[in-house]
Amino acid sequence: MTVRFEEQNWESANYEYVITRVRSRRAKLFDDDDYRKLVRMGPSEISRFMEETEYETEMNALGARYSGVDLVEYALNRNLAKHFDDLLRWSDGRLYDYVARYLRKFDVWNVKTIVRGIYSGADANEVEDDLIRAGELSEQLLDQLVAAGSIEEVVELLDGTIFGDDLAEAYQDYEDSGVLVPLENALDRAFYDVLLSGLPTQPEVDSPTGLYVSFLTAEIDFRNLRNALRLARSGAEIDPAEYHIEGGRLFDADEIGALATSTDQLVQRVRESTYGDDLDAALDTLEAADSLIEFEHALDAALLEYSDQLSNRYPLSVCPVLSYILAKEREVDNIRAIARGREAGLDSDEIEQELVIL
Amino acid sequence: MAKDVKPTRKELMRIEDRIDLSERGHDTLEKKRDGLIMEFMDILDQAQDVRSDLDDSYDRAQHAINMARAMDGDVAVRGAAAALKEHPELTTQSKNIMGVVVPQIESSKVRKSLDERGYGVMGTSARIDEAADAYEELIENIILAAEVETAMKKMLEEIETTKRRVNALEFKLLPDLYDNKEYIEQKLEEQEREEIFRMKKIKNKKEEEEAAAREEENAEAEEAAAVTADD
Repeated sequence: MTVRFEEQNWESANYEYVITRVRSRRAKLFDDDDYRKLVRMGPSEISRFMEETEYETEMNALGARYSGVDLVEYALNRNLAKHFDDLLRWSDGRLYDYVARYLRKFDVWNVKTIVRGIYSGADANEVEDDLIRAGELSEQLLDQLVAAGSIEEVVELLDGTIFGDDLAEAYQDYEDSGVLVPLENALDRAFYDVLLSGLPTQPEVDSPTGLYVSFLTAEIDFRNLRNALRLARSGAEIDPAEYHIEGGRLFDADEIGALATSTDQLVQRVRESTYGDDLDAALDTLEAADSLIEFEHALDAALLEYSDQLSNRYPLSVCPVLSYILAKEREVDNIRAIARGREAGLDSDEIEQELVIL
Repeated sequence: MAKDVKPTRKELMRIEDRIDLSERGHDTLEKKRDGLIMEFMDILDQAQDVRSDLDDSYDRAQHAINMARAMDGDVAVRGAAAALKEHPELTTQSKNIMGVVVPQIESSKVRKSLDERGYGVMGTSARIDEAADAYEELIENIILAAEVETAMKKMLEEIETTKRRVNALEFKLLPDLYDNKEYIEQKLEEQEREEIFRMKKIKNKKEEEEAAAREEENAEAEEAAAVTADD
């Protein structure tokens, strides 16, 4: 079944075209020298530097409305959206499906932003500026969502999308509780539910699909791990199983419920898992410094390292595309971290520690 | 002041009563002032600790939100903040410290668990949790600081008022009363001396008149005796 699945989809995808373009885009990503320069610049110098890079168009377009680090952040988001939207436009067939699965997380971001905007009574223009139009939802639908007058209207407009059923189900909980948690969790759950749906559950390990599925599985496992640790730390009476995302290979819902009560057991379980070697240093940090943030940082680094391995092994597959997506996201995160860090007066060393660079 | 006082015994008694009352009031106010200062010193120590905690928690909160804005983005942090409309609830009561009414602020719903913060757990990071935690701690410390520092301010105002009253009694009212008392006493003594002097004068005058009368009588008697002898 796996072989047939791969054969069928390899034929309908335009890997050569997309990967050629992705390679050229990847070559434009900032390198170590650029980061080294940025870390030593002040916020204004960073803005100036950005105007002479890949982000020039967005910096100029947004320059009249924003300034300083806000301008940098909005330009980064808009540039990210442009690049990822290009990927979706270029991709056909199975490749589109693979790329869209991952980029739907920006749909989740956008719907959450819109719902939070309506909930807090924010101005529609401000909400629109905060969107990252890199997902699968159309411009028209996003505009309709931004213009929606109530959360109920948003839920109705999303009927028929992957979020429709989960949101409709969570809406009653939202009405009862008056907080957005049920809706936000429903959006995240809908995203993770379709992330692996339709993909082979046990693909050949050393194959493009196998690597892709492994990456998504790792993403789910790491998300489950983060959430379990956060719940364990918070001390709140929350059943961790409620927040468990199916599809990972590290825990099932019952196991995570038992492990979340003890961080030590959870760490031990991860050490013994397939991620044990990759996360060994991160787990040591977690145990020694008791810092979940450093651990999350290490998880990000582990995921990025994993994605970098993807890019080299199967040049004509979804792997280089996914690797580029993650590298681009990381670039945006790094530049924003540097700009915000400099704005907040953090020193170069502190900022460098927070960057994840391969 | 002393010139306006009538130097009478009645006035002296009235002033002595006022001195007695003022001295008792002065002692009481001094005790109150000392008590207030002792209470104030306790509150001051507490306020210094609270202020220090407040500074630390502000620095921690600022650092946490800076890191969250840097790593997750300002948009994500603002979004997470916008996911909750509910504000912490504050109720104020009052308590009495040595006659000074100070506020007692009770807060609820400041500390929130992960599922009460409005944002979804699955799509957010520990950085946002840490920033929210740090700001919840900061709000608690602000509320505590507001309570302690308001109490401190009210105590300080009361100490100032009491100190002014003690000083007014000690350096103005009581000295004036003592001056008046002394003035009246001196006046009364003077009046007494004048009276004695006058009485002495009268007595001397009477004695002189009596002596003159006696001399006159003697002279008349001698004269009569001489006339009789001549006859």
